[in-house]
Amino acid sequence: MVSSFCWSCLTRLPTASPRAMLPPTLTPQRVAAFHTSSTLLASPLKKKSTGNVAAPRYRQANSARMKKKGKAVERARPPPAGERRALRKRIVLSNPNALEVEDMQDISAENMVDSRLHGAVLGLPVPMLDQLRAVQAFKPKQGWSIFRRPGTVMRRESLELGRLIDSISNNPEDKGKVVKRVLTGAKGTGKTVHLLQAMAMAFTKEWVVITVPECQDLVLANTSYAPLSDKTPNVYVQNEATAALLNRTVTANQKVLSTLKVSREHPALKSLVARDMTLQDLANIGIQDPAAAWAVFQALWTELAATSAAPGFEAGFSPRPPMLVAVDGIGHWMKETKYRSAKFEPVHAHDLVFVQHFLSLLKPGNNQQSALPNGGILLYATSGSNSPSVYSLDVALKQVAARRQGVTPSSSNFPQPAAYSKIDQRVFAALDAPASSIPTEGALELQTMAGVSRDEARGFMEYFARSGLLRQHVTEEWVNEKWTLAGGGVIGELEMLGRRLTVPAQVE
Amino acid sequence: MAWQNPNGLVQAMHSIRQAAPLRPFLQRSVLSASPILSASSTTTTTTTTRLFKQPNSKRSYATEVDSVDFVAAPPVDLNKLPARLVPVSPSYFSGSPKFVDHLLNLESILAKHAHLPIVESNQAPRMAWFKLAQFRDFVGEPVPTKKYKGLLKILQRLNRIDRKLMPHEVKSTIEKFLRPGNPYDLKPAPAQVDEMGRGRGRGKRKSSSAVAFLVEGDGEVRVNGKTLVEAFPRVHDRESATWALQCTSRLDKYNVWAQVQGGGTTGQAEAITLAVARALLVHEPALKPVLRKAGVITVDARRVERKKPGHVKARKMPTWVKR
Repeated sequence: MVSSFCWSCLTRLPTASPRAMLPPTLTPQRVAAFHTSSTLLASPLKKKSTGNVAAPRYRQANSARMKKKGKAVERARPPPAGERRALRKRIVLSNPNALEVEDMQDISAENMVDSRLHGAVLGLPVPMLDQLRAVQAFKPKQGWSIFRRPGTVMRRESLELGRLIDSISNNPEDKGKVVKRVLTGAKGTGKTVHLLQAMAMAFTKEWVVITVPECQDLVLANTSYAPLSDKTPNVYVQNEATAALLNRTVTANQKVLSTLKVSREHPALKSLVARDMTLQDLANIGIQDPAAAWAVFQALWTELAATSAAPGFEAGFSPRPPMLVAVDGIGHWMKETKYRSAKFEPVHAHDLVFVQHFLSLLKPGNNQQSALPNGGILLYATSGSNSPSVYSLDVALKQVAARRQGVTPSSSNFPQPAAYSKIDQRVFAALDAPASSIPTEGALELQTMAGVSRDEARGFMEYFARSGLLRQHVTEEWVNEKWTLAGGGVIGELEMLGRRLTVPAQVE
Repeated sequence: MAWQNPNGLVQAMHSIRQAAPLRPFLQRSVLSASPILSASSTTTTTTTTRLFKQPNSKRSYATEVDSVDFVAAPPVDLNKLPARLVPVSPSYFSGSPKFVDHLLNLESILAKHAHLPIVESNQAPRMAWFKLAQFRDFVGEPVPTKKYKGLLKILQRLNRIDRKLMPHEVKSTIEKFLRPGNPYDLKPAPAQVDEMGRGRGRGKRKSSSAVAFLVEGDGEVRVNGKTLVEAFPRVHDRESATWALQCTSRLDKYNVWAQVQGGGTTGQAEAITLAVARALLVHEPALKPVLRKAGVITVDARRVERKKPGHVKARKMPTWVKR
C-alpha cells in the first residue's frame, strides 16, 4: 500500500495542517501525478461507530435485557372471515330466562296515542320484529337480550310522536303533512330507540319506512363507488349500498309495496319496467342488478312520491301511503369521506348522490310539492357515542333551533361560528332550510332528547323488576336515587343501573 | 445519675414518702417555688394520720389524703448549729423537685376529690395542656416524656369532674397547666346558608379540590357545568360523589352545583363527596354523626409521596446491575 504521506510536499504532515480542516470533497482533486491514491479526506463529521448499543434513555431500564424464551403460544386457527363480525353485530331479542311481564301491552294503533300509558313499557308486536330487523332498527348493545321480548318506554316524546303519526294517517286536516326533525341529545338519551319507536308506529299504520341505520357505512369506503355519469364526474353513486337500501325497504315494506302499482314510465330503466308491475317487483330489479340500483331507487322514490298517476296509468293507481325516513348518525355525513376522487382528493360526503338525496329532503320542496308529497316524517338522528366532532354541524344545529324560535339570520342573537374557526359551508348550506311556502310542509326543527322524567324512570325500573332482573322494591326513593345517578334520567344509564346486580348499602 | 435509671425517680419519690414522718424534725429553708409549701400551713400535725391507704381507693400506690404539711425547720440559730441544712421541698434530692411536687400535689387533690361525679371523656371541655417542651420550660427541669404523660393523665381525670361540682381548688390547679391563650376557644363561626339559600363546602382528595354549592331542590347534579354522567362515566365515581346525600336520604331534596379541578377522576369524585358533605352540614348540622359514620367527614389527607433522589420512584430502587 502506498503511504498517503507525501515525503516531497509534506501535504499530510500531522502538525496543524490547514488542509485537514477543509471540508471533504466528493471528487478526487488534482494533485501531483505520482500520487497513486486519491486524496479524499475522511469526513471529520463522521461518527465513530461503536460496537456497543446506545446508553439507556431517561427512565429506560439499564439492566441487561435478557431475551425471553418464547412462550409456547397456542396459535389457534382464526375464525373464518366474517364470523367475528357476525358475532359482534348479532342481535338477540329474547332471553328465555327472563320472566314474562304479564299484562304488558303491545304498540298498536289504539294505544300509541293513549296518554294513560305514559311511562309504561309497551312491547313491540312479535310479528313486527322481522320488519324491524329488516330495517335494522335494533342495535347490538341496546340491552334487548336481557328481557323476554323487546319493549320500549312510552315517554313524553314517544306519545307526541304517536299522536303525530296518528294524525297524519287518520286526520284529514293533516293529510300530506311533513314533519322534519333532527334528533340530538347526549349519549344514551334514547335517540335511536326513538327512531325504533317511530318505525314501529309507522309499521302499525302501514306507512312506507325507509331507513339508513348507520350513516358511517356510506362514508367509510367499505362499499363500491363510481362517478354517477360522465357529465357529473364529481358526484358518486354507491350501487351496492343502494341495493342494500332497496333490499331493506322491500323486506320491511313488502305488504305495502306489493299492493302498489307502477304509475308512470321510467325512461332511465327502459324496458325493465312493465306496465302492471308492483313497486316490490320494481325494487327487486335494483336488488338483482346493483348496477341499476340507483336508477331503480329514483324510480321507486318517484312512485312513492306520486300523488296521481300519469296519463294512461290511472287503472291500477292507488294513493300512496305516508313515509317515514329514519337516518341514524348524520354526523358522518357532514365531513369528508374516506373515498378519493380521481385526483386523489378526499370526496366530501355531500358529493355522494345517496347522501345528497336524503339531505335534500330537509330542504323545502320545489315545484309546489313538498319533500314528501304524501306526507310523512323525516327523523335524522345524531349519535352520542359514534359521532365525529364536526364543529360546523354543532353550530348549524344551533342555527336550526334559533330559526325555529323565530330568530332571523340577520339578528345578532343568531348563533354564528366563532371567528377564525374552520367551518364547512356545505354543512351550513345543507341544514339551512327556511320555512316552506307549502302549508303542509313544516320547517326543519331540532328535537333535543334529554333524560326521562321520574315517572317514566319508575315505569322503566318496574319493568326491570317485573322481568326478574331487579331484586329490589322499586320505591319512589330508590327511583329518585337512580334517576340522579343516571345524570337526570338518561335512559341508557338507567338501563345500566337496572341490570347491575347491587347489594344495598348498610348504614347504621 | 438517677435520671438515666427509669426507676430512679420512683425510688426517690418512695423514699420521700417514707421520709415524710421525719419532716417536722427537719429544718425549713427560706426560698421555695414548691406548690406544696406555698399551700401548706405551718401547723404541725401528727404524722401517724397522714400515711394510710384509703380502703375505697383504686390506686395501687400510697396516696396522701390531705396535702402533706411539711414544716420547714425553725430558723437557723448559728450559735446552735444543726446537724445539717434541710431543703424546703422534701423532693429536693429527687433531681426534679418541682415536677415531683406538682405530681404529688395533683395526686393528693385527685385522691381528695375522687368521689365527685365525672362525665364521659368526650363530654369534658377540651383543654390545651402544656406541650412537653413548654412544661419543661415551666418547671425548668428536664422532665421525661413518660412521666409527663402520667401527669397529664391525672390532669385529664381531674378535668372529667363535672363542671358544676368542680371545687375551686381543682379548677385553679388545673389552670396552671394550660397553655396561655386557650387555642380551643378560637372556633370559627359556624357557616350559614347565604341569602340565595346556598350552602357552600370545600373538599380535597389526592390532587383534586372541589367546591360544592347545595340548594334545596330535586336531585339535579352539575359538575363543572356538566351532568353527572358526562363528568363521571364510571358509576362508582357517581355514587361516591353523591354518597353524602345518598346515605342521609337527601339525594332528591337538594341540587348540587360543584366545581372541581386537579387530579384524576377518582380524586375529583371523592373531593366532591367531602365538599357536598360539608355543604350539607351547613344546611343540617344535626346530620354530623350520620355523616361521620358514613365516612364523609374524615379527611383523607394522603397525597402522592414525593420522589427521592437515588430512587426510581418514591420507594423503588434501581435494579442492581453487575457493571
